[in-house]
Amino acid sequence: MIPVSYNVRSLFVRKATTIATALGIALVVFVLAASQMLSRGVKKTLGSAGSPINGFVMRKGADTEMSSGIETPMVNLIMAAPGVKKDANGNAMGVGEIVMVLALEKLGGTAGQVSNVQLRGVPDNELSFRKEAHLIDGRPAHPGTDEVIIGKRLRGKFKGLELGQTFEVKKNRMASVVGIFEAQGSSHESEIWCDIDLVRTAFGRAGMVSSVTVALQSEGQFDAFKSAMEHDKQLGLQAFRENVYYEKQSEGTAKLVSFLGGAIVFFFSIGAIIGAMITMYAAVSHRKKEVGTLRALGFSRITILSSFLLEAFVLALIGGTFGAVASLGMSLVHFSMMNMASWSEITFSFDPAPDILVRAILIGGLMGIAGGLLPAIRASRTSPVEAMRE
Amino acid sequence: MSDASTTPTSTAANTAANTAVKSGGAAAATLIRLSQVGKTYYRGKEAVEVLKNLDLEMPDGAFEALMGPSGSGKSTLLNLIAGLDNVTSGSIQISGVDLSRMSEGERAKWRSQNVGFIFQTYNLMPVLTAAENVELPLLLTSLPSAERKKRALTALRVVGLEERASHRPDQLSGGQQQRVAIARAIVTDPKIIVADEPTGDLDRASADQILELLVKLNKELGKTIVMVTHDPAAAERASIVRRLDKGQLT
Repeated sequence: MIPVSYNVRSLFVRKATTIATALGIALVVFVLAASQMLSRGVKKTLGSAGSPINGFVMRKGADTEMSSGIETPMVNLIMAAPGVKKDANGNAMGVGEIVMVLALEKLGGTAGQVSNVQLRGVPDNELSFRKEAHLIDGRPAHPGTDEVIIGKRLRGKFKGLELGQTFEVKKNRMASVVGIFEAQGSSHESEIWCDIDLVRTAFGRAGMVSSVTVALQSEGQFDAFKSAMEHDKQLGLQAFRENVYYEKQSEGTAKLVSFLGGAIVFFFSIGAIIGAMITMYAAVSHRKKEVGTLRALGFSRITILSSFLLEAFVLALIGGTFGAVASLGMSLVHFSMMNMASWSEITFSFDPAPDILVRAILIGGLMGIAGGLLPAIRASRTSPVEAMRE
Repeated sequence: MSDASTTPTSTAANTAANTAVKSGGAAAATLIRLSQVGKTYYRGKEAVEVLKNLDLEMPDGAFEALMGPSGSGKSTLLNLIAGLDNVTSGSIQISGVDLSRMSEGERAKWRSQNVGFIFQTYNLMPVLTAAENVELPLLLTSLPSAERKKRALTALRVVGLEERASHRPDQLSGGQQQRVAIARAIVTDPKIIVADEPTGDLDRASADQILELLVKLNKELGKTIVMVTHDPAAAERASIVRRLDKGQLT
């Protein structure tokens, strides 16, 4: 076997082309890793909004809370279903919520640009029901008032969405921000929570909720709960595990991110592979006499082929590692985009993971091999006699 | 172009007629035997007959110089003897092994075990140190790393460059580079060393040192050396000088 040091040192003889090629591959790996990290971030943000031990009920046929409507009297019926957990006082643990969308002016971008924000009308016991959510600044909203609390990812992103500020829920109906909450990085952190009656009156949804979420006694109780919800066709309800519902909500956006990332990576990789190919062809041409000498000394064609493939792989790994390390910087970046399920803006984070980085680096390495294959074949076919004549 | 149907002379007669033996002593066994060797290259559709019905015997332990004008076929003959190329017709036997029947892969393996190469332009790997260059042929053996390194240093000691083991070729003079190449050629202890214009790129003093080294390898280590050269001073060091012209021994 030809020593790896021969290949590695040869790469650094031609520093400029090596660096240019490595950077090309680094760019592809960066985009690939970043898009995978964002896709994972989307799934995590949307998916982590739900718990497998919670049951989630909507109107049958509704895809999202926005399109779902359940009459208030049915909320008690749902709470009384089998499997629903009760608190120390014997009250069923659950919440009925209404979800609407507000168009608010964005800050920091083009003046006057508006974007949708999800407004969730919640009952008084919301914070005690959703243990994952807690205030990090300010105080809870007083029940029956036009006070709201906002998720921390909205803070300062929209006009009026800052502690102590106000914004218009409906024309001439102002709400004031009294608290900031976080919810373990879930999509709730991109929502405004207010009294359920504020939404009902402002949007003419009296006597309605969008969904009902209940705590189950155990995960195993879900089937009985679902059966109770869906058995009576006249109720017209459908039940999900809460985490499953939110994961389904994330699918479209996560797929879009992955698809866009994949499309960019595809075209970038063609460029990177061609770059690697040109570099390796130049290397083979430049070192024809060296290859001829190795062949004369008795190194087989397959050894020469492997050696140049290894060189291309090492080149790509250098670039890939650089790109993967650079992509880690994206974890500091928050990225706002439209959630295709709710048509409201949600802030996502790039969520790095070892498997994403390793996979991206290996794909970078494979691009090196793809680009290096034809030049390596040419090298392996070098005739020692012809090479010596050069 | 010569007539391909030229009647070949007998091997013995040809060998005797075209060899200038400069040293006496008992006749050694034949190591290299070429029988009716022809080599034709194709330049597009045009056939170029480089060697024509060549018969030749080289004794074991000889130091042979091949001389002749450019295009006479010296390097082609050297490449055939070294197993770098195959004959178009005829056969080449070395130690009784018929190279002309071998596949390219088999010849590569045979070369790694039986032939050491010395080139006019040294052909060292520029990114490897002297010791790593010398170690290269040993990578084709099953020797452990420590043993390979030990042998590489021993070979460098033979050529007087042990203290330059960690130097890269660009840190060595031309003469020193050629001595590293010689160390690389002998490190596997091959039967035959082929040298293509080994002094062609060197000044007189360095060339003399290289030639001294080749004589030493021939006399003290018993290596059979086949050297192509244009340099009469180099040829003088050989025990046998053969001249080629237009693909035939003259």
